[in-house]
Amino acid sequence: MSRPAAIVGIGQTKHKKRRDDVSLPGLVREAAQRALDDAELGWTDIDAVVLGKAPDPFEGVMMPELSMADALGAVGKPIMRVHTAGSVGGSTALVATHLVQTGIHDRVLTVAYEKQAEGNAQWGLAGGRSGGMGAGGIFAPWMRSYMARAGAPEHIGWMVAVKDRRNAAKNPYAHLQMPNLTIDEVKDSPMLWDPIHWHESCPSSDGACAMVITTEDGAARSPHPPAWVLGTAMRSELGTFPGRDPVRPQAGVECAHLVYEAAGIRDPRQQVDIAELYVPFSWYEPMWLEGHDIAGPGEGWRMVESGETQIDGSFPVNPSGGVLSSNPIGASGMLRFAETALQVRGRAGEHQVPDATVGLAQAYGGAAQYFAMWVVGSTLDAVDQKR
Amino acid sequence: MTTHTIEFPYTRTLGPVIGPFLTGLRDGHVLGVRNRDGRVLVPPLEWDPATGEAIDVDFVEVGPAGTVETWAWVTEPTRKHPLDHPFAFALIRLDGADTALLHAVDAGSMDRMRTGMRVVARWKDERAGHITDLSFVPEEAA
Repeated sequence: MSRPAAIVGIGQTKHKKRRDDVSLPGLVREAAQRALDDAELGWTDIDAVVLGKAPDPFEGVMMPELSMADALGAVGKPIMRVHTAGSVGGSTALVATHLVQTGIHDRVLTVAYEKQAEGNAQWGLAGGRSGGMGAGGIFAPWMRSYMARAGAPEHIGWMVAVKDRRNAAKNPYAHLQMPNLTIDEVKDSPMLWDPIHWHESCPSSDGACAMVITTEDGAARSPHPPAWVLGTAMRSELGTFPGRDPVRPQAGVECAHLVYEAAGIRDPRQQVDIAELYVPFSWYEPMWLEGHDIAGPGEGWRMVESGETQIDGSFPVNPSGGVLSSNPIGASGMLRFAETALQVRGRAGEHQVPDATVGLAQAYGGAAQYFAMWVVGSTLDAVDQKR
Repeated sequence: MTTHTIEFPYTRTLGPVIGPFLTGLRDGHVLGVRNRDGRVLVPPLEWDPATGEAIDVDFVEVGPAGTVETWAWVTEPTRKHPLDHPFAFALIRLDGADTALLHAVDAGSMDRMRTGMRVVARWKDERAGHITDLSFVPEEAA
């Protein structure tokens, strides 16, 4: 038994290096209030709250969903916390969606955030021990492995970085605003983790994202066009095991196939208008294009090189500027999900892809081991219209 | 011999309500905030728990004395407790407040604790803007 779920409210903060003008709950509240305003709903209209963020040591506030109940209007209401590392923003949106689809709640507020300036993510990732190599140190060898396997030239990573930063310049909420970044500046920036240069890495941001997810009845009362959830999928695998392929994790492959099947998509490259993929380091764009079978083996980097993933290309990826331009870790996954919903609602502003009716969002986390994806459409039959 | 202290410095942005509350403690005042329904909330909150609405920031000084609403005696304090000898954790409704503040009462012995008793703030000489800048003692002992 499942009933349709729709996104009728979307809010996010301006992502910045440091938001020292607001408390931690105040930051989350800002995004949530904007989502309610977008839906023209009040705090008492919400039935339940689902909150996600990266591990608690990032800010050192344990079980923040409890102390944030006031800020989220959740006193006396069901509130739920989701934990799936970097993919958490996506998983959190999916949990909220499932609460509506299964008939448990009619109007769910879902929020995700990180206030990275209050802690140190690298330390948090190291589990409180020193000597962590950071996410870049974990992923860099896998990017090199992809490059060798796919025969990808070095400049692909630089092209992704320039594309995403230029897209971000069209998004007033994006952290990094670099409308004039050039390939040479990327190439000449300091090497962080070979092959990742400074400009090929995400920033560290304070920011939050929120959505209101509701039923068909709720969508009918929405003042603005809703986005419909056409398919959801989550998959995970262990971070290490013999025979694991970290370049193309099996959980990522299965998650993609599951979401395509749920949404009735047979050919994602043809039937998806816009994708927001979790790309914290430039090379992950071609890696996920192949890892989610949008492109065939060795074809992902060619899609980048030919400009297909540009905002005006045939398969735009991260028109919002993506994780490369804003990374409040816990919120980054939800931002991918929210941006696809903004696109199919036609409310993405300057980074709107014209006539986008089907959007695909993905978030990944841990050692590329947790995956969350959804497909959203401007109508319940948006995918069928593309057969 | 050299001593190295390994620490991880979290920072905290307190916002427009908890920030002034802790600054008030440093200056020797306990501040509450007046809610739209007229009640004075101590410790102050940024949002009304009953409605979810924002609270207009209207600070009210409360205390320094108040009434114990309930309490629990701590027989063996740990190093993380606010006092190093037996004391009571108590919910204290400060004079002028409509809600209770959780804090420590240094009563000497459990026999001196009772619900409804009067207590008064005892401030540290050197204050840092922390909730531990003060504790409470029975009023008759002050």
